[in-house]
Amino acid sequence: MILINYLKSTILSKFVMAITGVILVLFVIGHCVGNLQVFLGKDAFNSYAYFLQERLGELLWLIRIGLIAAAVFHIITSVWLKFLNWGAKPTKYQVKNYVKARLTSRTMIWTGIMIFAFLTYHILHFTMGVVHPEDYNKTDYYVTNAVSVDKVNNGTLNDTEGSDECCAEGTATNAKESIINYNGSMYKVEGDEPILSERHDAYAMVISGFQKPLVSILYIIGVILLGFHLNHAIQSSFQTLGYNNPKYFPKIVAGSTILSILIVLCYIAIPISILLGLVGGRV
Amino acid sequence: MRLKLFIWRQKNAQDKGHMEKYPVDDVQEDMSFLEMLDVLNEKLILEGKEPVAFDHDCREGICGACSLTINGIPHGHEKGTTTCQLHMRKFKDGDTIYIEPFRAKAFPVIKDLVVDRSAFERIMQAGGFISVNTGNAIEANSLPIPKKNAELAMDAAQCIGCGACVAACPNAAAMLFVSAKVSQFALLPQGQPERKRRVLAMVNQMEKEGFGACTNFYECEAACPKQISVRFIAMMNRDYLCSRVSEPVEV
Repeated sequence: MILINYLKSTILSKFVMAITGVILVLFVIGHCVGNLQVFLGKDAFNSYAYFLQERLGELLWLIRIGLIAAAVFHIITSVWLKFLNWGAKPTKYQVKNYVKARLTSRTMIWTGIMIFAFLTYHILHFTMGVVHPEDYNKTDYYVTNAVSVDKVNNGTLNDTEGSDECCAEGTATNAKESIINYNGSMYKVEGDEPILSERHDAYAMVISGFQKPLVSILYIIGVILLGFHLNHAIQSSFQTLGYNNPKYFPKIVAGSTILSILIVLCYIAIPISILLGLVGGRV
Repeated sequence: MRLKLFIWRQKNAQDKGHMEKYPVDDVQEDMSFLEMLDVLNEKLILEGKEPVAFDHDCREGICGACSLTINGIPHGHEKGTTTCQLHMRKFKDGDTIYIEPFRAKAFPVIKDLVVDRSAFERIMQAGGFISVNTGNAIEANSLPIPKKNAELAMDAAQCIGCGACVAACPNAAAMLFVSAKVSQFALLPQGQPERKRRVLAMVNQMEKEGFGACTNFYECEAACPKQISVRFIAMMNRDYLCSRVSEPVEV
Protein backbone atom coordinates (compact mmCIF):
# COMPACT_ATOMS: atom_id res chain seq x y z
CA MET A 1 0.00 0.00 0.00
CA ILE A 2 2.85 2.38 0.76
CA LEU A 3 3.82 2.08 -2.90
CA ILE A 4 0.59 3.68 -4.06
CA ASN A 5 0.25 6.22 -1.26
CA TYR A 6 1.28 8.93 -3.70
CA LEU A 7 -2.09 8.58 -5.44
CA LYS A 8 -3.62 10.65 -2.62
CA SER A 9 -1.96 13.71 -4.10
CA THR A 10 -2.75 14.72 -7.68
CA ILE A 11 0.56 16.58 -8.03
CA LEU A 12 2.57 13.58 -6.80
CA SER A 13 0.56 11.36 -9.16
CA LYS A 14 1.41 13.63 -12.05
CA PHE A 15 5.03 13.54 -10.93
CA VAL A 16 4.96 9.73 -11.10
CA MET A 17 3.35 9.94 -14.55
CA ALA A 18 6.14 12.24 -15.73
CA ILE A 19 9.05 10.23 -14.28
CA THR A 20 7.78 6.86 -15.52
CA GLY A 21 6.96 8.51 -18.84
CA VAL A 22 10.51 9.82 -19.18
CA ILE A 23 11.87 6.31 -18.50
CA LEU A 24 9.58 4.85 -21.17
CA VAL A 25 10.48 7.57 -23.71
CA LEU A 26 14.17 6.84 -23.16
CA PHE A 27 13.44 3.18 -23.85
CA VAL A 28 11.46 4.09 -26.99
CA ILE A 29 14.45 6.07 -28.28
CA GLY A 30 16.97 3.34 -27.39
CA HIS A 31 14.79 0.63 -28.91
CA CYS A 32 14.44 2.73 -32.06
CA VAL A 33 18.20 3.16 -32.47
CA GLY A 34 18.66 -0.58 -31.90
CA ASN A 35 15.98 -1.50 -34.41
CA LEU A 36 17.44 0.74 -37.10
CA GLN A 37 20.41 -1.65 -37.21
CA VAL A 38 18.19 -3.84 -39.39
CA PHE A 39 19.41 -1.57 -42.20
CA LEU A 40 23.02 -2.61 -41.47
CA GLY A 41 22.24 -6.19 -42.42
CA LYS A 42 21.77 -9.57 -40.87
CA ASP A 43 25.09 -9.91 -39.13
CA ALA A 44 24.96 -6.52 -37.42
CA PHE A 45 21.34 -7.00 -36.33
CA ASN A 46 21.82 -10.52 -35.02
CA SER A 47 24.99 -9.55 -33.16
CA TYR A 48 23.01 -6.75 -31.50
CA ALA A 49 20.19 -9.15 -30.62
CA TYR A 50 22.73 -11.63 -29.25
CA PHE A 51 24.35 -8.88 -27.21
CA LEU A 52 20.98 -7.92 -25.69
CA GLN A 53 19.77 -11.41 -24.96
CA GLU A 54 22.94 -13.28 -23.96
CA ARG A 55 25.72 -10.88 -23.10
CA LEU A 56 23.79 -8.52 -20.82
CA GLY A 57 22.89 -11.41 -18.50
CA GLU A 58 21.27 -10.22 -15.25
CA LEU A 59 21.44 -6.64 -16.44
CA LEU A 60 18.84 -7.45 -19.11
CA TRP A 61 16.40 -8.56 -16.44
CA LEU A 62 17.16 -5.52 -14.31
CA ILE A 63 16.34 -3.30 -17.29
CA ARG A 64 13.24 -5.33 -18.06
CA ILE A 65 11.97 -5.18 -14.48
CA GLY A 66 12.63 -1.44 -14.41
CA LEU A 67 10.69 -0.93 -17.63
CA ILE A 68 7.81 -3.15 -16.54
CA ALA A 69 7.62 -1.31 -13.20
CA ALA A 70 7.63 2.05 -15.02
CA ALA A 71 4.87 0.87 -17.36
CA VAL A 72 2.78 -0.56 -14.50
CA PHE A 73 2.99 2.63 -12.44
CA HIS A 74 2.35 4.74 -15.55
CA ILE A 75 -0.82 2.78 -16.30
CA ILE A 76 -2.15 2.50 -12.73
CA THR A 77 -1.65 6.22 -12.14
CA SER A 78 -3.21 7.28 -15.43
CA VAL A 79 -6.31 5.15 -14.90
CA TRP A 80 -6.67 6.41 -11.34
CA LEU A 81 -6.31 10.04 -12.45
CA LYS A 82 -8.76 9.54 -15.31
CA PHE A 83 -11.48 8.31 -12.97
CA LEU A 84 -10.68 11.12 -10.52
CA ASN A 85 -10.92 13.67 -13.33
CA TRP A 86 -14.19 12.29 -14.63
CA GLY A 87 -15.52 12.50 -11.07
CA ALA A 88 -14.41 16.13 -10.75
CA LYS A 89 -16.55 17.14 -13.75
CA PRO A 90 -19.73 15.07 -13.42
CA THR A 91 -21.86 17.36 -15.63
CA LYS A 92 -20.53 18.03 -19.10
CA TYR A 93 -21.24 21.17 -21.08
CA GLN A 94 -23.97 20.96 -23.72
CA VAL A 95 -21.66 22.91 -26.00
CA LYS A 96 -17.90 22.79 -25.49
CA ASN A 97 -15.26 24.67 -27.42
CA TYR A 98 -11.56 24.10 -26.89
CA VAL A 99 -9.06 26.90 -27.32
CA LYS A 100 -5.66 25.44 -26.48
CA ALA A 101 -6.30 21.73 -25.87
CA ARG A 102 -5.37 19.71 -28.91
CA LEU A 103 -6.64 16.39 -30.16
CA THR A 104 -3.41 14.75 -29.00
CA SER A 105 -3.73 16.08 -25.45
CA ARG A 106 -7.41 15.22 -25.13
CA THR A 107 -6.96 11.62 -26.28
CA MET A 108 -4.01 10.62 -24.07
CA ILE A 109 -5.92 7.90 -22.20
CA TRP A 110 -7.29 6.41 -25.45
CA THR A 111 -4.00 6.46 -27.33
CA GLY A 112 -2.45 5.05 -24.16
CA ILE A 113 -4.89 2.13 -24.01
CA MET A 114 -4.41 1.39 -27.72
CA ILE A 115 -0.61 1.54 -27.34
CA PHE A 116 -0.89 -0.92 -24.44
CA ALA A 117 -2.93 -3.32 -26.60
CA PHE A 118 -0.42 -3.00 -29.43
CA LEU A 119 2.51 -3.46 -27.09
CA THR A 120 1.03 -6.68 -25.70
CA TYR A 121 0.75 -8.07 -29.21
CA HIS A 122 4.20 -6.79 -30.12
CA ILE A 123 5.87 -8.49 -27.12
CA LEU A 124 3.95 -11.75 -27.71
CA HIS A 125 5.18 -11.65 -31.31
CA PHE A 126 8.80 -10.52 -31.20
CA THR A 127 9.91 -11.03 -27.59
CA MET A 128 8.11 -14.20 -26.55
CA GLY A 129 7.31 -15.79 -29.91
CA VAL A 130 3.81 -16.80 -28.83
CA VAL A 131 1.96 -15.37 -31.82
CA HIS A 132 3.42 -16.30 -35.23
CA PRO A 133 5.92 -18.78 -33.68
CA GLU A 134 7.13 -19.56 -37.21
CA ASP A 135 8.78 -16.12 -37.26
CA TYR A 136 10.40 -16.57 -33.88
CA ASN A 137 11.87 -20.10 -34.09
CA LYS A 138 14.67 -19.39 -36.50
CA THR A 139 18.33 -20.10 -35.96
CA ASP A 140 21.24 -18.19 -37.38
CA TYR A 141 24.62 -19.93 -37.77
CA TYR A 142 27.54 -17.62 -37.76
CA VAL A 143 31.29 -17.76 -37.73
CA THR A 144 32.52 -16.67 -34.33
CA ASN A 145 36.17 -16.17 -35.15
CA ALA A 146 35.70 -14.24 -38.37
CA VAL A 147 34.95 -10.72 -39.45
CA SER A 148 32.54 -9.91 -42.20
CA VAL A 149 34.12 -8.53 -45.37
CA ASP A 150 32.60 -7.16 -48.53
CA LYS A 151 31.90 -9.46 -51.39
CA VAL A 152 35.15 -10.31 -53.14
CA ASN A 153 36.33 -12.75 -55.73
CA ASN A 154 33.81 -15.58 -55.64
CA GLY A 155 36.14 -18.10 -57.24
CA THR A 156 38.46 -18.71 -54.32
CA LEU A 157 35.74 -19.25 -51.79
CA ASN A 158 34.28 -22.21 -50.11
CA ASP A 159 30.63 -22.00 -51.02
CA THR A 160 28.34 -23.22 -48.26
CA GLU A 161 25.34 -21.20 -49.34
CA GLY A 162 21.99 -22.75 -48.58
CA SER A 163 23.38 -25.70 -46.67
CA ASP A 164 22.41 -25.05 -43.09
CA GLU A 165 22.48 -28.73 -42.19
CA CYS A 166 26.17 -29.01 -42.99
CA CYS A 167 27.05 -26.06 -40.86
CA ALA A 168 24.83 -27.00 -37.98
CA GLU A 169 27.16 -29.86 -37.29
CA GLY A 170 29.84 -27.35 -36.53
CA THR A 171 32.31 -27.97 -39.33
CA ALA A 172 33.23 -26.05 -42.39
CA THR A 173 34.74 -28.19 -45.09
CA ASN A 174 37.58 -26.04 -46.22
CA ALA A 175 39.50 -24.92 -43.15
CA LYS A 176 42.59 -23.75 -45.01
CA GLU A 177 40.81 -20.90 -46.82
CA SER A 178 41.10 -17.57 -45.12
CA ILE A 179 37.88 -16.24 -46.61
CA ILE A 180 34.64 -18.15 -46.51
CA ASN A 181 31.22 -17.52 -47.94
CA TYR A 182 28.38 -18.18 -45.60
CA ASN A 183 24.79 -17.45 -46.57
CA GLY A 184 26.00 -14.95 -49.13
CA SER A 185 28.23 -13.04 -46.71
CA MET A 186 31.97 -13.06 -46.95
CA TYR A 187 33.93 -13.72 -43.82
CA LYS A 188 37.61 -13.45 -43.23
CA VAL A 189 38.62 -16.11 -40.73
CA GLU A 190 41.08 -15.02 -38.07
CA GLY A 191 42.19 -18.41 -36.67
CA ASP A 192 43.11 -21.71 -38.29
CA GLU A 193 39.62 -22.82 -39.02
CA PRO A 194 36.17 -21.24 -38.82
CA ILE A 195 34.10 -22.04 -35.75
CA LEU A 196 30.38 -21.98 -36.26
CA SER A 197 27.91 -21.05 -33.52
CA GLU A 198 24.15 -20.82 -33.25
CA ARG A 199 22.14 -17.78 -32.28
CA HIS A 200 18.56 -16.63 -32.47
CA ASP A 201 17.88 -15.30 -35.95
CA ALA A 202 16.24 -12.02 -34.94
CA TYR A 203 16.84 -10.59 -38.41
CA ALA A 204 14.88 -13.35 -40.15
CA MET A 205 12.19 -12.98 -37.49
CA VAL A 206 11.81 -9.27 -38.21
CA ILE A 207 11.86 -9.75 -41.98
CA SER A 208 9.38 -12.62 -42.11
CA GLY A 209 7.23 -10.87 -39.50
CA PHE A 210 6.98 -7.63 -41.41
CA GLN A 211 6.58 -9.35 -44.76
CA LYS A 212 3.04 -10.09 -43.56
CA PRO A 213 1.15 -6.93 -44.56
CA LEU A 214 -1.28 -7.20 -41.63
CA VAL A 215 1.55 -7.33 -39.08
CA SER A 216 3.21 -4.34 -40.70
CA ILE A 217 0.00 -2.30 -40.83
CA LEU A 218 -0.73 -3.03 -37.15
CA TYR A 219 2.82 -1.99 -36.32
CA ILE A 220 2.56 1.25 -38.29
CA ILE A 221 -0.76 2.11 -36.64
CA GLY A 222 0.70 1.32 -33.21
CA VAL A 223 3.71 3.54 -33.81
CA ILE A 224 1.60 6.44 -35.12
CA LEU A 225 -0.55 6.22 -31.97
CA LEU A 226 2.65 6.31 -29.96
CA GLY A 227 3.64 9.45 -31.87
CA PHE A 228 0.33 11.12 -30.97
CA HIS A 229 0.86 10.17 -27.33
CA LEU A 230 4.45 11.45 -27.24
CA ASN A 231 3.59 14.71 -28.98
CA HIS A 232 1.70 15.81 -25.88
CA ALA A 233 3.65 13.73 -23.37
CA ILE A 234 7.18 15.01 -23.86
CA GLN A 235 6.44 18.71 -23.36
CA SER A 236 3.91 17.84 -20.68
CA SER A 237 6.56 16.10 -18.58
CA PHE A 238 8.63 19.31 -18.49
CA GLN A 239 5.61 21.29 -17.23
CA THR A 240 4.75 18.67 -14.60
CA LEU A 241 8.32 18.43 -13.35
CA GLY A 242 8.29 22.19 -12.92
CA TYR A 243 10.24 23.45 -15.91
CA ASN A 244 8.33 26.12 -17.80
CA ASN A 245 10.54 29.01 -18.77
CA PRO A 246 8.93 31.55 -21.14
CA LYS A 247 12.07 31.64 -23.27
CA TYR A 248 12.61 27.91 -23.70
CA PHE A 249 9.17 26.38 -23.25
CA PRO A 250 7.93 27.19 -26.80
CA LYS A 251 11.08 25.43 -28.04
CA ILE A 252 10.32 22.44 -25.82
CA VAL A 253 6.80 22.24 -27.26
CA ALA A 254 8.15 22.40 -30.82
CA GLY A 255 10.90 19.92 -29.93
CA SER A 256 8.31 17.54 -28.50
CA THR A 257 6.48 17.52 -31.84
CA ILE A 258 9.66 17.16 -33.88
CA LEU A 259 10.99 14.33 -31.69
CA SER A 260 7.71 12.42 -31.81
CA ILE A 261 7.53 12.73 -35.61
CA LEU A 262 11.17 11.62 -35.89
CA ILE A 263 10.50 8.59 -33.68
CA VAL A 264 7.48 7.63 -35.79
CA LEU A 265 9.42 7.99 -39.06
CA CYS A 266 12.37 5.94 -37.82
CA TYR A 267 10.13 3.13 -36.57
CA ILE A 268 7.85 2.90 -39.60
CA ALA A 269 10.82 3.01 -41.99
CA ILE A 270 11.50 -0.61 -40.99
CA PRO A 271 8.21 -2.33 -41.97
CA ILE A 272 7.85 -0.08 -45.02
CA SER A 273 11.33 -0.96 -46.33
CA ILE A 274 10.66 -4.64 -45.72
CA LEU A 275 7.27 -4.54 -47.45
CA LEU A 276 8.85 -2.75 -50.41
CA GLY A 277 11.58 -5.39 -50.51
CA LEU A 278 14.37 -2.89 -49.88
CA VAL A 279 15.54 -4.82 -46.82
CA GLY A 280 15.59 -8.56 -46.28
CA GLY A 281 16.90 -9.88 -49.57
CA ARG A 282 18.92 -12.64 -48.00
CA VAL A 283 16.81 -14.21 -45.29
CA MET B 1 -29.56 42.67 -33.03
CA ARG B 2 -31.70 39.59 -32.77
CA LEU B 3 -30.29 36.62 -30.90
CA LYS B 4 -31.36 33.11 -30.09
CA LEU B 5 -30.28 32.18 -26.55
CA PHE B 6 -30.14 28.74 -25.01
CA ILE B 7 -29.86 29.19 -21.24
CA TRP B 8 -29.40 26.62 -18.48
CA ARG B 9 -32.39 26.78 -16.12
CA GLN B 10 -32.26 25.01 -12.77
CA LYS B 11 -34.67 25.80 -9.92
CA ASN B 12 -32.30 24.83 -7.10
CA ALA B 13 -29.36 22.57 -6.24
CA GLN B 14 -31.55 19.46 -6.26
CA ASP B 15 -33.25 20.16 -9.59
CA LYS B 16 -31.91 18.29 -12.62
CA GLY B 17 -31.93 21.38 -14.84
CA HIS B 18 -32.33 21.82 -18.59
CA MET B 19 -31.53 24.16 -21.47
CA GLU B 20 -34.29 26.59 -22.43
CA LYS B 21 -34.62 28.64 -25.59
CA TYR B 22 -35.11 32.43 -25.37
CA PRO B 23 -35.28 34.60 -28.46
CA VAL B 24 -34.22 38.20 -27.71
CA ASP B 25 -34.77 41.15 -30.00
CA ASP B 26 -33.60 44.78 -29.72
CA VAL B 27 -30.15 43.95 -28.37
CA GLN B 28 -27.75 46.83 -28.92
CA GLU B 29 -24.13 46.32 -29.90
CA ASP B 30 -22.92 48.59 -27.09
CA MET B 31 -24.50 46.45 -24.41
CA SER B 32 -22.33 44.23 -22.31
CA PHE B 33 -23.25 40.56 -22.16
CA LEU B 34 -24.77 41.02 -18.70
CA GLU B 35 -26.81 44.04 -19.87
CA MET B 36 -28.17 41.84 -22.63
CA LEU B 37 -29.25 39.35 -19.93
CA ASP B 38 -30.75 42.25 -17.94
CA VAL B 39 -32.89 43.10 -20.98
CA LEU B 40 -34.02 39.49 -21.19
CA ASN B 41 -34.82 39.43 -17.46
CA GLU B 42 -36.87 42.66 -17.68
CA LYS B 43 -38.88 41.02 -20.41
CA LEU B 44 -39.33 37.80 -18.38
CA ILE B 45 -40.46 39.78 -15.31
CA LEU B 46 -43.01 41.69 -17.38
CA GLU B 47 -44.30 38.40 -18.69
CA GLY B 48 -44.59 37.16 -15.12
CA LYS B 49 -41.90 34.55 -15.54
CA GLU B 50 -38.95 33.73 -13.30
CA PRO B 51 -35.88 35.79 -14.37
CA VAL B 52 -32.57 34.07 -15.08
CA ALA B 53 -30.28 34.11 -12.03
CA PHE B 54 -26.65 34.98 -12.70
CA ASP B 55 -23.71 36.28 -10.63
CA HIS B 56 -22.44 39.83 -11.11
CA ASP B 57 -21.00 42.63 -9.06
CA CYS B 58 -18.56 45.33 -10.18
CA ARG B 59 -19.25 44.96 -13.91
CA GLU B 60 -15.84 46.42 -14.67
CA GLY B 61 -13.82 43.24 -14.86
CA ILE B 62 -12.01 43.30 -11.54
CA CYS B 63 -14.16 41.57 -8.92
CA GLY B 64 -14.40 38.04 -10.28
CA ALA B 65 -18.10 37.67 -9.51
CA CYS B 66 -19.44 37.15 -13.01
CA SER B 67 -19.13 33.71 -14.50
CA LEU B 68 -21.07 32.03 -17.35
CA THR B 69 -19.79 29.57 -19.92
CA ILE B 70 -20.68 31.16 -23.25
CA ASN B 71 -20.66 28.86 -26.28
CA GLY B 72 -18.47 26.39 -24.39
CA ILE B 73 -15.83 28.90 -23.26
CA PRO B 74 -15.86 30.47 -19.76
CA HIS B 75 -16.34 34.25 -20.07
CA GLY B 76 -16.87 33.77 -23.82
CA HIS B 77 -14.56 33.66 -26.78
CA GLU B 78 -13.01 37.11 -26.31
CA LYS B 79 -9.46 36.77 -24.98
CA GLY B 80 -8.57 38.16 -21.56
CA THR B 81 -12.08 39.43 -20.80
CA THR B 82 -14.63 38.77 -18.09
CA THR B 83 -18.27 38.21 -19.06
CA CYS B 84 -19.21 41.70 -17.86
CA GLN B 85 -16.62 43.24 -20.17
CA LEU B 86 -17.69 41.17 -23.15
CA HIS B 87 -19.73 43.34 -25.47
CA MET B 88 -22.48 42.33 -27.83
CA ARG B 89 -20.56 43.82 -30.76
CA LYS B 90 -18.42 40.70 -30.55
CA PHE B 91 -21.45 38.70 -31.72
CA LYS B 92 -23.30 38.77 -35.02
CA ASP B 93 -26.96 39.45 -35.67
CA GLY B 94 -28.88 36.18 -35.65
CA ASP B 95 -26.29 34.30 -33.59
CA THR B 96 -27.26 31.36 -31.42
CA ILE B 97 -25.62 31.61 -28.00
CA TYR B 98 -25.42 28.81 -25.45
CA ILE B 99 -25.13 30.01 -21.84
CA GLU B 100 -24.28 27.50 -19.12
CA PRO B 101 -23.00 27.75 -15.56
CA PHE B 102 -19.36 27.00 -14.67
CA ARG B 103 -19.21 23.21 -14.42
CA ALA B 104 -17.29 21.33 -11.69
CA LYS B 105 -18.15 19.00 -8.85
CA ALA B 106 -16.53 21.52 -6.48
CA PHE B 107 -18.74 24.32 -7.90
CA PRO B 108 -22.29 23.05 -7.31
CA VAL B 109 -25.08 24.97 -9.07
CA ILE B 110 -27.20 27.00 -6.66
CA LYS B 111 -29.72 28.28 -9.19
CA ASP B 112 -29.72 28.69 -12.98
CA LEU B 113 -26.29 30.14 -13.80
CA VAL B 114 -25.16 30.79 -10.22
CA VAL B 115 -22.61 28.38 -8.77
CA ASP B 116 -21.16 28.10 -5.28
CA ARG B 117 -17.47 29.00 -5.51
CA SER B 118 -16.76 28.98 -1.78
CA ALA B 119 -14.31 26.09 -2.33
CA PHE B 120 -11.90 28.82 -3.47
CA GLU B 121 -12.43 30.71 -0.22
CA ARG B 122 -11.58 27.60 1.80
CA ILE B 123 -8.38 27.12 -0.22
CA MET B 124 -7.44 30.74 0.55
CA GLN B 125 -8.19 30.21 4.24
CA ALA B 126 -5.86 27.20 4.25
CA GLY B 127 -2.82 29.29 3.38
CA GLY B 128 -3.42 32.15 0.94
CA PHE B 129 -2.10 34.82 3.32
CA ILE B 130 1.04 36.10 5.02
CA SER B 131 1.34 36.64 8.75
CA VAL B 132 2.62 40.12 9.67
CA ASN B 133 2.39 42.25 12.78
CA THR B 134 0.16 45.24 12.38
CA GLY B 135 1.59 48.72 12.86
CA ASN B 136 3.44 51.12 10.63
CA ALA B 137 4.50 49.88 7.21
CA ILE B 138 8.26 49.43 7.01
CA GLU B 139 10.37 51.77 4.87
CA ALA B 140 9.97 50.38 1.32
CA ASN B 141 13.66 50.44 0.38
CA SER B 142 14.69 48.39 3.40
CA LEU B 143 13.24 45.28 1.74
CA PRO B 144 14.83 44.91 -1.69
CA ILE B 145 12.89 42.84 -4.25
CA PRO B 146 14.28 42.07 -7.72
CA LYS B 147 12.20 43.85 -10.36
CA LYS B 148 11.63 40.59 -12.26
CA ASN B 149 10.20 38.93 -9.15
CA ALA B 150 8.04 41.92 -8.33
CA GLU B 151 6.55 41.87 -11.84
CA LEU B 152 5.99 38.11 -11.84
CA ALA B 153 4.35 38.29 -8.41
CA MET B 154 2.06 41.02 -9.73
CA ASP B 155 1.20 38.87 -12.76
CA ALA B 156 0.13 36.10 -10.38
CA ALA B 157 -1.67 38.55 -8.11
CA GLN B 158 -3.91 39.59 -11.00
CA CYS B 159 -6.02 36.51 -10.30
CA ILE B 160 -9.55 37.62 -9.40
CA GLY B 161 -10.59 34.11 -8.33
CA CYS B 162 -13.47 33.90 -10.80
CA GLY B 163 -13.06 30.14 -11.37
CA ALA B 164 -12.90 30.27 -15.18
CA CYS B 165 -9.79 28.04 -15.03
CA VAL B 166 -11.80 25.33 -13.26
CA ALA B 167 -14.73 25.79 -15.64
CA ALA B 168 -12.50 25.55 -18.72
CA CYS B 169 -10.52 22.54 -17.51
CA PRO B 170 -11.98 19.22 -18.74
CA ASN B 171 -10.83 17.80 -15.37
CA ALA B 172 -12.14 20.74 -13.31
CA ALA B 173 -8.65 21.25 -11.91
CA ALA B 174 -8.00 24.37 -9.86
CA MET B 175 -4.27 24.36 -10.50
CA LEU B 176 -4.10 27.77 -12.20
CA PHE B 177 -5.98 29.49 -9.39
CA VAL B 178 -4.01 27.79 -6.60
CA SER B 179 -0.68 28.26 -8.37
CA ALA B 180 -1.35 32.00 -8.83
CA LYS B 181 -2.26 32.36 -5.17
CA VAL B 182 0.79 30.35 -4.06
CA SER B 183 3.24 32.05 -6.42
CA GLN B 184 2.27 35.65 -5.63
CA PHE B 185 3.77 35.08 -2.17
CA ALA B 186 6.46 32.54 -3.08
CA LEU B 187 8.10 35.17 -5.30
CA LEU B 188 8.31 37.82 -2.58
CA PRO B 189 10.37 37.97 0.63
CA GLN B 190 7.22 38.48 2.71
CA GLY B 191 5.99 35.07 1.59
CA GLN B 192 9.11 33.12 2.58
CA PRO B 193 8.46 32.23 6.26
CA GLU B 194 5.28 30.29 5.43
CA ARG B 195 6.23 29.28 1.91
CA LYS B 196 6.43 25.50 2.34
CA ARG B 197 3.54 25.24 4.74
CA ARG B 198 1.43 27.41 2.44
CA VAL B 199 1.85 25.35 -0.73
CA LEU B 200 1.25 22.08 1.11
CA ALA B 201 -1.85 23.38 2.91
CA MET B 202 -3.41 25.02 -0.16
CA VAL B 203 -2.83 22.01 -2.42
CA ASN B 204 -4.14 19.73 0.31
CA GLN B 205 -7.33 21.79 0.60
CA MET B 206 -7.66 21.93 -3.21
CA GLU B 207 -7.64 18.13 -3.31
CA LYS B 208 -10.14 17.86 -0.44
CA GLU B 209 -12.56 20.09 -2.35
CA GLY B 210 -12.70 17.56 -5.18
CA PHE B 211 -10.97 19.44 -7.98
CA GLY B 212 -9.38 17.25 -10.65
CA ALA B 213 -5.75 16.72 -11.66
CA CYS B 214 -3.83 18.81 -14.15
CA THR B 215 -3.32 17.22 -17.58
CA ASN B 216 -1.58 20.21 -19.15
CA PHE B 217 -4.32 21.00 -21.66
CA TYR B 218 -3.64 24.71 -20.98
CA GLU B 219 -7.35 25.48 -21.43
CA CYS B 220 -7.22 27.37 -18.11
CA GLU B 221 -4.65 29.82 -19.44
CA ALA B 222 -6.77 30.37 -22.56
CA ALA B 223 -9.92 31.06 -20.53
CA CYS B 224 -8.35 33.19 -17.79
CA PRO B 225 -9.69 36.76 -18.05
CA LYS B 226 -6.43 37.95 -16.48
CA GLN B 227 -4.33 35.78 -18.82
CA ILE B 228 -2.38 34.17 -15.99
CA SER B 229 0.28 31.85 -17.38
CA VAL B 230 0.43 28.10 -16.78
CA ARG B 231 4.04 28.83 -15.95
CA PHE B 232 2.81 29.39 -12.38
CA ILE B 233 1.54 25.80 -12.34
CA ALA B 234 5.05 24.57 -13.15
CA MET B 235 6.38 26.83 -10.39
CA MET B 236 3.88 25.43 -7.92
CA ASN B 237 4.68 21.83 -8.93
CA ARG B 238 8.33 22.54 -8.18
CA ASP B 239 7.48 24.27 -4.92
CA TYR B 240 5.16 21.46 -3.86
CA LEU B 241 7.66 18.68 -4.59
CA CYS B 242 10.47 20.50 -2.75
CA SER B 243 8.21 21.23 0.20
CA ARG B 244 6.97 17.64 0.37
CA VAL B 245 10.49 16.34 0.84
CA SER B 246 11.84 19.14 3.04
CA GLU B 247 8.93 20.27 5.23
CA PRO B 248 9.02 18.25 8.46
CA VAL B 249 5.63 19.44 9.73
CA GLU B 250 2.52 17.50 8.77
CA VAL B 251 -0.03 19.82 7.21
